[in-house]
Amino acid sequence: MENLLASSALVAFVTDLKLLWKPALFNVYFAFASIPVGFPLAIGLALMKNSSSWPVSRFARMFIYAFRGSPLFIQFFMFYSIMLAFNQSLWKPMGIDGVVLHPLFLGPLVLVLNTSAYGAEIFYGALRSVPKGQLEAARAVGMGRANVFKSVTWPNMLRLAWPAYTNEVVFLFHSTALVYFTLPVINEQKDLMNKAGELFEKDYNVFLHFSVAGLYFLLISVVIFFVFDWIYSRMTKHLDTGSAGKRKKLKIRPQYVR
Amino acid sequence: MLETILQAITATTGLDLTYIFNGKHLAWYASVRYTIFAAFFGAALALCFGVIGAAAKRSGFAPLRWFGNLYTTMVRGIPDVLFFLFFPLAFEQLIEYLFSFSQCTAAERAGGGWPPCTAAQWYLSTTEYFLMACVSLGIVYGAFAANVIHGAMGAVPRQQLEAARAFGFSSRQIFWRFHVRQMWAYALPGLSNVWMLLLKATSLLSLLQIADIVQWAGKLGAANYFPRAGLVHGDWRWKYYVVLFLFYILLTLISEKIFDYLQRRASKGMAIER
Repeated sequence: MENLLASSALVAFVTDLKLLWKPALFNVYFAFASIPVGFPLAIGLALMKNSSSWPVSRFARMFIYAFRGSPLFIQFFMFYSIMLAFNQSLWKPMGIDGVVLHPLFLGPLVLVLNTSAYGAEIFYGALRSVPKGQLEAARAVGMGRANVFKSVTWPNMLRLAWPAYTNEVVFLFHSTALVYFTLPVINEQKDLMNKAGELFEKDYNVFLHFSVAGLYFLLISVVIFFVFDWIYSRMTKHLDTGSAGKRKKLKIRPQYVR
Repeated sequence: MLETILQAITATTGLDLTYIFNGKHLAWYASVRYTIFAAFFGAALALCFGVIGAAAKRSGFAPLRWFGNLYTTMVRGIPDVLFFLFFPLAFEQLIEYLFSFSQCTAAERAGGGWPPCTAAQWYLSTTEYFLMACVSLGIVYGAFAANVIHGAMGAVPRQQLEAARAFGFSSRQIFWRFHVRQMWAYALPGLSNVWMLLLKATSLLSLLQIADIVQWAGKLGAANYFPRAGLVHGDWRWKYYVVLFLFYILLTLISEKIFDYLQRRASKGMAIER
């Protein structure tokens, strides 16, 4: 009897793993579609915030404050309803209503805006802590502004921001769980939370379905973390020579969550 | 009274303010109480769980330390929304499971369905659901707070504690009057972060079917049609969500000011760079 119970629990677990791997791809898609756009946008916004021009800096500050200061959940609702409001006057006549209102487009759009604000704050902090001595040395050897940026500011900024940015990416992945709570679900296009909820409504087994969904989130978070850690190790390779090759390990610090 | 004032404003300025002060809108404004209560109650619980978690992490007893580490690690790998939905459901089922021993027959319990029998089903009221939502906010953000407090306990300079010992303070006095007292200055920036997260997470209350500001905004904004009055307005949801967007930014702004003040107070006379 005990044996049977254990094996049936295992079977249910494996069935859930099989059922949920496709939904997991939707979460992965949302994260993957947002990061390549969000990353340059974040850096652009950080540079804008650091700009000496008042309107440029002001705009970046307000954008970052607005998106960091409000829940992503509301941002999703807000953008979806704004897009819907323009449906009759803009998207329909242009014939792009199917694309613009599609969760697979709108989801990454909102995530990009959100992650670029969070990322910008991280890169801005790093930008401010680029070693002054290196900047002065670069000026002293006669580098132009563009050259100083390319060879001093940029690599330093990236290196300083990377650990925090890694966390931002992991938490961006976590926030993809909100997409289908706010945007319409089309056919079988369901993400982990959605599918887990659907499975729960069938047999009320909250422990099994939510654990498996959580397991997928955990696994993919770990993969993201290792990839970013590998990039970080390449970025800081030349800094290893000093203390017996002991570089600072990346740590997930949950500080930048939405 | 309110109505006459509003009508007077409408008559003089032409702005129809009576609409945004009608019964449904007043209910919307009143539902802010859920958000505020959940934020404060959730934060109080998160602070309690945070202190417990940090104490567990620093405990000399290994299993307790493992538990503390597990608790603070879980929020790093799994989204908070998942916990937010999971805890109330899991708690409900746990209670039902306990009920089932007294309420159901052995055959029913062996059946495997859920709930085992209808007698064991626990019907939750909105208030109970709401309280459970607050508890799950407390559990999830308590893990964040535990990390912050654990870090802050470690950040207090050892020399301060050694100096206190040299002056002859007892261990208990050192802990409360020096370690914990100074810890706040180091923990506040992190705790302010946790508070902001928690505040933003209160928008998720509607996921647990609580009629909070988000759910009301969706209802009020949806196209409004009465057979007698015709179409009152089309899809206005975006207006209501923009209001919520601004409302949360305002809350963040206020919290920031308060935490700045607290930080200045907590680090008074301490050599902490801000």
